[in-house]
Amino acid sequence: MNKIEAKNVDVYYGAKQALFDINMDIEANKVTALIGPSGCGKSTFLRCLNRMNDVIDICKVSGVVKINDYDINQKDTDVVRLREKVGMIFQKPNPFPKTIYENISYGPEIHGIAQSKSEMDNIVEESLRKAALWEEVKDRIHEPGTGLSGGQQQRLCIARTISIKPEVILMDEPCSALDPIATAQIEELIDELRKEHTIIIVTHSMSQAARVSQNTGFFHLGKLIEVGSTDKIFKNPTQQQTQDYITGRFG
Amino acid sequence: MNKEERLIKRYKAEKRFQFYGKAAIFMALLFLVVFLTKIFSTGYTAFQKTWLVIPVNYNADLLYLDPDKKPTTEDINDADFYEFGIETFITLDPDASEDQIMELKKMFAFTFERELKYYLLDNPDSFGKTVDVKLTASDDLDQVFKGNYPRDIPENRRRASDYQLKIFDKLNEDGRVISEFNASFFTNADSREAELAGIASSFMGSLFSILVCLSIAFPVALLAAVYLEEFAPKNRFTDFIEVNINNLAAVPSIVFGLLGLGVLLAVFGLPRSTPLVGGITLSLMTLPTIIIAARASLKAVPPSIREAALAMGASRMQTTMHHTVPLALPGTLSGTIIGLAQALGETAPLILIGMVAFVNTIPGTPMDPAASLPVQIYIWAESAERGFVEKVSACIMVLLFFLIFMNLGAQLIRHKFEKKWN
Repeated sequence: MNKIEAKNVDVYYGAKQALFDINMDIEANKVTALIGPSGCGKSTFLRCLNRMNDVIDICKVSGVVKINDYDINQKDTDVVRLREKVGMIFQKPNPFPKTIYENISYGPEIHGIAQSKSEMDNIVEESLRKAALWEEVKDRIHEPGTGLSGGQQQRLCIARTISIKPEVILMDEPCSALDPIATAQIEELIDELRKEHTIIIVTHSMSQAARVSQNTGFFHLGKLIEVGSTDKIFKNPTQQQTQDYITGRFG
Repeated sequence: MNKEERLIKRYKAEKRFQFYGKAAIFMALLFLVVFLTKIFSTGYTAFQKTWLVIPVNYNADLLYLDPDKKPTTEDINDADFYEFGIETFITLDPDASEDQIMELKKMFAFTFERELKYYLLDNPDSFGKTVDVKLTASDDLDQVFKGNYPRDIPENRRRASDYQLKIFDKLNEDGRVISEFNASFFTNADSREAELAGIASSFMGSLFSILVCLSIAFPVALLAAVYLEEFAPKNRFTDFIEVNINNLAAVPSIVFGLLGLGVLLAVFGLPRSTPLVGGITLSLMTLPTIIIAARASLKAVPPSIREAALAMGASRMQTTMHHTVPLALPGTLSGTIIGLAQALGETAPLILIGMVAFVNTIPGTPMDPAASLPVQIYIWAESAERGFVEKVSACIMVLLFFLIFMNLGAQLIRHKFEKKWN
């Protein structure tokens, strides 16, 4: 079943076209990796999926992006409700400069998910457990989230995102600022999260894409060159460009 | 030139450069020290006040009161203390001529009537007795006692006559001239008499002006900055506004004074000489400073925080109110305090809206006429009497103290609340 369907998506930054006619289907409860050289538009495409490009004044998006068969690019789409369903993890861990607890409780609070203090406590604990962070921080959840290590901060951001139970989680190079051990922890977590969420991850590391994803899309110069199961893309790509990138001849 | 020589030359150049830097700092410190020394050496005497302690006979006959009955408060209030005062002064020199009596009177501040009356009101037991009462010395004798007046110049060029000095010296020998902390400098309003003039009116005037200025400028500036930085589309119109805000910050303050005069007083008919008008005028001046500070601190909030909040499904308003503004507040507040400190020291616009008037009452609300500290300095600096010289310096000290206090506050807020981004 396709969770997300993108049809004829074009993106312009001012006069410069960043994405050319992207058509891509993303399956539910799988990890889809987007790979490609720097500046190829993979992050731009990711940001089309929760309309984060709206923040950039000069950015214009056209085409159809359907999530659960609903076109999110309509004028009257409520981006607040969209982003409640489609969470996002960024390249650099960006916890709020508040306590660990407040970082997680923020989402449930603004969406009115928790009815009481104890319910909120449960959500916080559950989210931290799911993000494999609970054991490390349970004694200091009222200390600033910015005091954690880089890997812990990124897991905190994941916990913050899953606190409102999004259906889709977008990850924009979530491990690029982390050391190998923290990266391994996050990758493990991604596999775990797949059970309840559809995950789309942008990554620079092909080995990471191979490790964590079931499907892979290869972008080059704003075009989606090839998409398919990770196995097929890495072992038997149909396009020459994909073959060249996978084997490290450019990029 | 070989390599060795070149190296030596480079080291020398660096040493020279460091020396210039140190010399510059030394110069700046020297100016500061000279300035402060001058202010303090002239001003510290203003915090002391000279009193003459003279024997006063609260005799019933002299006061035209009934000697057999203890006088009520009303009786005392109705009694004539002027004549009584003159009679008392004559006891200092029973042989005084008519003219000399006048000179005796002038040795005291003109408030002697009040002082004599209040002493009796506070000490009703002294009725019918002779007691020592502390009276404010005139500013001339005050200055003589503090050593600010030369005594050796010809009498006709002196404010204190030979006769007055003779009586004064006699009192001094008897230990009847005392110097005490000058509380009235802080509790009195302005006065034509230097010995009575105080900063209470101008202090309250400054305080009210600053409060009015803060309550107008801060919310307006914050809203403007937040809208421009977080919501407004970036186009030519907003660029135009930005340029004009920067221009506004560079407008000389006297122009704002003219604006206050022409618009607030002439068109809206707000009461002249009041902290209300002063505060509004100053707020026009402070507005661009706060807007610029607020925008800079909003810009300093990393975009990743906004993205984090937006990605959590917060609306733009929630992102701004829950995250961006609280994080930008310390910077905004310290910018605000610096803007207010500037406004506190502003003189020209206040002179134009009439806050330069002689005000001898202490304002209770921003709608009452008042002076302000820098204008008070200006008024006193213009006065001819020697007694005002030390007052000017003392007033500068008070103003400086407040400016330092406010700047310290701004520093404190910055250090304590500003978040460090990694």
